[in-house]
Formats: sequence, structure tokens, C-alpha cells
Amino acid sequence: MDRAFKARLETRFGATLTGPVRQRHDETEMRIGAGDVVPVLTALHDEPDLHFEFLADLAGVDTGEVMQVVYHLWSETTPDWLRVIADGLSREDPRVPSATFLWKGAEWMEREAYDMFGIIFEGNRDLRRIYMPPDYASFPLRKDFFLPDDAARSPGGGVRPMERTQAPSNVPTTALVRRGGA
Amino acid sequence: MEVKPDRAADALVTTDPDVAARALISPIIVANELWQAADPLAYDGGRESDITHLREYEASGLGRRDDARWGGVLEVIPTKADYVLDLIRMNSLWPLLSGLACCAIEMMSTATSKNDMDRWGMFPFRASPRQADVLIVAGTLTTKMAGPLVRLWEQMPEPKWCVAMGDCTCSGGRYKRSYSTVEGIDRVMPVDVYIPGCPPRPEGLIYGMMKLQQLVKDRRGHWPDRAIGPTVPTDL
Amino acid sequence: MSTTKQQPHQSTDDPRVTLDRDLGVFEPIPPYPTRTEREAEFYTLADGEMLINMGPQHPSTHGVLRVVLKLDGEKVVDLDPVLGYLHRGVEKLCENADYHQAICYTDPLEYVSALFNEWAPVMAFEKLLDVQVPRRAEYIRVLSGELNRIASHALFMGWMALDLGGLTPILWSFIERDEIVDMLAALTGQRMLFNYFRIGGVNGDLNHEFMSRLGDWMSRATEQIDNNMGLLNENEIFVRRMRGLGTIDTATALRMVMSGPNLRATGVPFDVRRAHPYSVYPELEFDIPTRSEGDCLARYLLRLDEVRQSIRIIDQCLHQMPDGPVMAKLPRLLRPRPGRAYAAVEGPRGQYATYAVSDGTDQPFRMRIHDPSFIHLQAVGVMMPGHLLADTMAIMASLDPIMGGVDK
Repeated sequence: MDRAFKARLETRFGATLTGPVRQRHDETEMRIGAGDVVPVLTALHDEPDLHFEFLADLAGVDTGEVMQVVYHLWSETTPDWLRVIADGLSREDPRVPSATFLWKGAEWMEREAYDMFGIIFEGNRDLRRIYMPPDYASFPLRKDFFLPDDAARSPGGGVRPMERTQAPSNVPTTALVRRGGA
Repeated sequence: MEVKPDRAADALVTTDPDVAARALISPIIVANELWQAADPLAYDGGRESDITHLREYEASGLGRRDDARWGGVLEVIPTKADYVLDLIRMNSLWPLLSGLACCAIEMMSTATSKNDMDRWGMFPFRASPRQADVLIVAGTLTTKMAGPLVRLWEQMPEPKWCVAMGDCTCSGGRYKRSYSTVEGIDRVMPVDVYIPGCPPRPEGLIYGMMKLQQLVKDRRGHWPDRAIGPTVPTDL
Repeated sequence: MSTTKQQPHQSTDDPRVTLDRDLGVFEPIPPYPTRTEREAEFYTLADGEMLINMGPQHPSTHGVLRVVLKLDGEKVVDLDPVLGYLHRGVEKLCENADYHQAICYTDPLEYVSALFNEWAPVMAFEKLLDVQVPRRAEYIRVLSGELNRIASHALFMGWMALDLGGLTPILWSFIERDEIVDMLAALTGQRMLFNYFRIGGVNGDLNHEFMSRLGDWMSRATEQIDNNMGLLNENEIFVRRMRGLGTIDTATALRMVMSGPNLRATGVPFDVRRAHPYSVYPELEFDIPTRSEGDCLARYLLRLDEVRQSIRIIDQCLHQMPDGPVMAKLPRLLRPRPGRAYAAVEGPRGQYATYAVSDGTDQPFRMRIHDPSFIHLQAVGVMMPGHLLADTMAIMASLDPIMGGVDK
């Protein structure tokens, strides 16, 4: 936990941070808005006393209210991992500038975030689905996409007997699945 | 060749004199008076094809029927020729290289020196489905891969068998509840042997292949009549 | 076997049988109007170029990977890897499972090096829960992890040669791998998907069977590795095919965010075990092998150097192994306080990491798995243009991707 690093970040980026810089174990976390991604990442990458050349991870997160894009960076100037959370993306139309201008290797990670969440990375030259077939219509990792295991939590409730969390008597018989083999 | 209207009689013996002369031993045919199949159309019960060109082709006798084709239970007592053909098929099952995921590593481990599948003739993993006998599906089948895998299965010429290796191919395994896996390959293709395990040990795969060899030998493989479909009730 | 009535499946040679989708014709490439700039650029053919589809079933892909190659005669001009044929939805499944159960889902990602797949999530959950892992458990983790690294590199050696056409080295490397994997089976109970690491420690202590096999193997290990290396390192065909192939320089490698042996072969001595030490690696002495050429041969030789370093680490672990418990005392129902944690380990392919978000319940809110093979497959698009078709497999094999990890 590098306290000096936290101070450095707060002095450098104080205006753009949307929350305090938090530290826990060996990670430092800062939150910014979606529009500040480009200047912040460029500054972290290019400035010699920050020198965050290594993008360890680029992930999307759906918190249920907002979406986030989380970048993990590493530099030899500090022993901590730096986590940059681009917060506050709306769930209906999440847009964030792409990081591919700095790291070409972020292209596929952004494709994956698009495929799983629907987050549009503006500036990514190749934003198409990477895991699901190209004509797939939903975004699987969103919180409103429910697996059969999780169907009991979904608004419709589970249909099959195993998906119900209450006694079987509240399963309407019309809702049971079709019978028959193959 | 004269047209034979009754297919059941000539189902197993070709009347082409050249071919008959070259056959090893013609099988002994015993008319089946002891047992009746429940489904009269089963076991190729003399039904003619309703595709015109196929019907005419079969009726013309130009096509050579497989001498060893098994028309039904108790109808044919296999003689030495059939037995030899079965032994040939059973001892040189060539798998198709179709390792999808982790079970493929155990399949490779079974094929290499310590547990050697070459002892049973199964070493040549053919890359092309046209040259392979058995499709060992090793690894999770996803919905995106299901199309190509079925296409591979279609391309394999008969006789062919399918072995579901690993839990993911038997029933979906640990990924059963996922949005993108097929819960068991028997939803898309007929399976002869299921080998459970995650991954099955090489000894397990060998046991499964030996079971398959037994199936081939007893001709219970019965490839035209296998069923596709999940073997568990779907409303679970 | 079945209690439901099944429809009979007629012979697929019978033209009456059709499937739902018409599989007769290859779908046009791509089967939809191109939507991105890169796709349009890729699928526009210049004069004399052609598109060849390789995969998803191919004798040499490391699993199910489909690559659409744009060829100009024999030379590869561009390529477009298509992933997703093994996408099993692990991240979503982990969200619906306990913390303990989530670790079971991560095992088969990079199935060849399964322990590292468990290590990163276990470390991330331990950070969320503020759990202190006993030192003996840490040493056992390092020991079994390094054994798994050796097994993985042995398999890499075999695959590298197999993709170039040599059939003998894979048999030799499977002998190596079978020995190590049987050793780990004595320790963990399973040959490949070990399911050994638990939150707070490991599943069981070292036992006599494992130690006797390990001692026996260690006494022969160096000599065996020299033998295996001697098979290929001096082989003229092998060396001439691999030297100068798929060269990547440091700046490009860093831009493509590569890690692990692929990055170290370009000259950057970045190893998570030294750059961001975890577990008991600060107490162990080992070097970070680096090479500067950045071609396939450098990547191959570098992994063999790493095997030697791993043996050194195992030796030290055995000598320095402390006594104590192998598992921290934890409640069965784990409910960490809301927060986020990131943990990275150095796997045989690169940096393998997990980002776990907890919302205070007993299920992870988000478990993001960062896999090195996924990143390295992007680099194939940078390395391959200009080389011949037969070299595609060599380059892809030298990056050592595992499709389970790529597709999650």
C-alpha cells in the first residue's frame, strides 16, 4: 500500500476524480468519468514519473444501476496495481472512448466487453462480437440476463420446478414445459 | 439384371454371379419365424425407398449391397466372412481428431506412450473426417461449435460411431446451466458410448473404446437406426 | 439407458434426412454485411488474394480456433481469428455460485496449467476476505504450481514440434508430462483439473506417495530435460524453420500487452513473480530468463530455460518447507464485505489475473478472468503477415495459446 502514490495521484488528477482514491492491500483505485478516459490514460501512460506502460486488464462491470469499465495498470514506479474505474456509464447506452490508441492489445478486451455487456468503445476499429455468434441478440453478462439457475431471481420467476424457490404448489400447470422426447 | 420386387429375399445375398463367385462364404439365411419386431418397419423391414431415383436404383440391381449388412435379429447367422469383417472394423477404428477442450489432452495422453491406444489400432488420428471411423468428441460442445461438429459428423462415411468422452459431452457437465453450451452431444448426434469423467482417466477412455469394440463386434452399433435425442426427460 | 421415446435417426447418407440448418454450402464469408472498418478492410480482396478458412477443427490448432486467412499465393497477407467455439460462460456461472464453487469453474480454462487458473481467483478472494494463508500452504502452492509449469512447458515442447510435423517429440513430452501429472494426482487426487487450491490454503497436505515420486523424479529431472532438449535444439530442420520466424520487437509486444515468456523473449524482463511478488516468491532465489531475438526459437528456448528455473524453485521449496497447517480457519459460508480485489499470478503463458467484485453476499458479484492466451492471439495478427502458410502453425504454437482460456 503506497501512501505516497495516493498523494501523487490526488495532486495530479484531483479535478477529474469522481471519488476518493482508495487503497486496499496492494491496490490503488481511482474513479473517473467516461469522458476523462482519454486524457487520464494518456497521462498515466506517457508521463515519466507515472509510466504506466503495462495494461494488465480491461474489464466491463454491470453494477445493476450503472456500467463501469475497469482498467488495471502496472508501472515500475510503484509497487501497487492501479485500478482506474470509468464510472457512470448508463445501462441503456454505455459509451466510452477506446484505449486502442495507446495499447493495440486492448482491442480484443474491448470487443469482449462489448460482447458481454453492450458497451460501445468509440474509436475501436473492430467492435464486433468475439465470443457469441455474430447474430446473437443479447449481452450475456448484464444483470438482466438470467441463467436457468438464476431464474428464480428474475422478474418472471422460474418456470421449471427446479427453478422455483418456493413450494411446487405455486407453479401453474400451464407453465410446465412441453412433454415428449427428442 | 432382372428386377427383384421383393427386397427382403435378396437383401443379403447378391445375385450378381461374378460377385457371388468371389464372396468368401455366403451367409446362411434362416427365415425369422421366432421373433417379430414391434415396429414392422424396423430393421429395414422390406420397405422401399420413396425417393424415386433411389428406388429405381435399388430395383435395378446395379448397386451392390453390402454382403455383411445385418438385416435383423436371428435372420442371419454370421459366418466367417462377417466375423472377419467385424474383426477388421473393430481393431482398426480410426478416430477423428476432434478434441475440443480439456478431455482432448487426456485423449492425447491415451494415444501416447504410457497408455498406448495403438495397441488396439487407434493411433492414427485422422484430420479429415472422410478417413475416420469414430468421432471421439472430447470437450465441451458450445452452441457455436455445434454446427461445425455436426457437419463433421455428416461428412464421416458410414460405418461410423460416436463416443462422448467426458462429462460435458455426456450431459453438459459442469457447464450445464450455461447460456452457450449444448447439454450433451446426444442432442445433436447419435452416441454409442458415453464415458463419464472430468476428464476421464486414460484408462477410462480405453475402457470406453473397448466397449465400443465390443459393440462393433456384436454389431449392436446398428448405425442406421440409432436415435438422436436427450436420454433424460427434458422437463427437468 | 433411455426411458423416453426417441425418434429413430435414419442414416445421414439418406437424402430424406435434413437438419434445421442447411449445411450443404459453406456460408459466405462473412455471412452478414461487414460492420466494422477492420472487417471491411479484411474482407476486401485485392487482385490475386483469396480467403482460406482454417478451423475450427484442424489438426494443429490448440483447440477450436477458426482463423480466416487472406492469402496471396502461399504468403499470408492478413488473418482474422474467430473465437468463441469454446465459450462456456464461466464468468456468468461464477456469479451464480458460491465463492468456493466459483473456483471449480475456473479450473478448465487453461486446462494444461490448471493450478494457476485456481491460484489467481483464490488470491483475489483471499484479499476480499482479508485471509492470511498459512506459510506451509503457500509453499505447497508454489511447489505444485512450479510442477504444473514444468508439465505445461513439456507439453508446449511436444506441441511445438507436432505443429511443425515432428511426431516423436510429442511422445517424449507426454512421458514427461505423465510422470509429473501422476505425481500431482497423488497429491491432489486428479490428473488434470486438479481442484486443489482452496480459499485460505490447499486441500490436503503432502503425502508419502507424492514425496517419494517427487524425490525420484527430481533425481532424474535435469538429465531428462537435457535429453529432451537434445532431441530438438540441435535439429537443423527445427532450428532453421523457427529462427527468424514471427519476430516481434519490444515496443510492439508492449503495445499488444503481451506478458509471460512471449514478452520475455523480446527482451523485457517482466515476470509477475518479481515485478509484483505474491505468495512466498520473495523468499525464493531464481532468475528470470530473457532472450532478445523475439522470434519463435527464442520463445521455445526461453520456456526450456524456465523449466530449469522451476526445478531450482522446487528444490528450494522442499528444503525450506515450514511446518504448520495447510488451511486457514474460515467459516463455511463466506461473505466478504463489499469491495474489489485484483490478483495476478505468473502462469506458464503469461499474467493470469482475476478481478473480483463483492457486494456483501455469498456469491461473487463479478468475477472477471484475465487470460494471457486471449491477449497473445491478437499478436498473431501482427506477427503473421508476410510469412508462408506452413509457418502459421509454427507461430501460433510458439505463442502457446490454450483455447479454453481464450474462449473462457
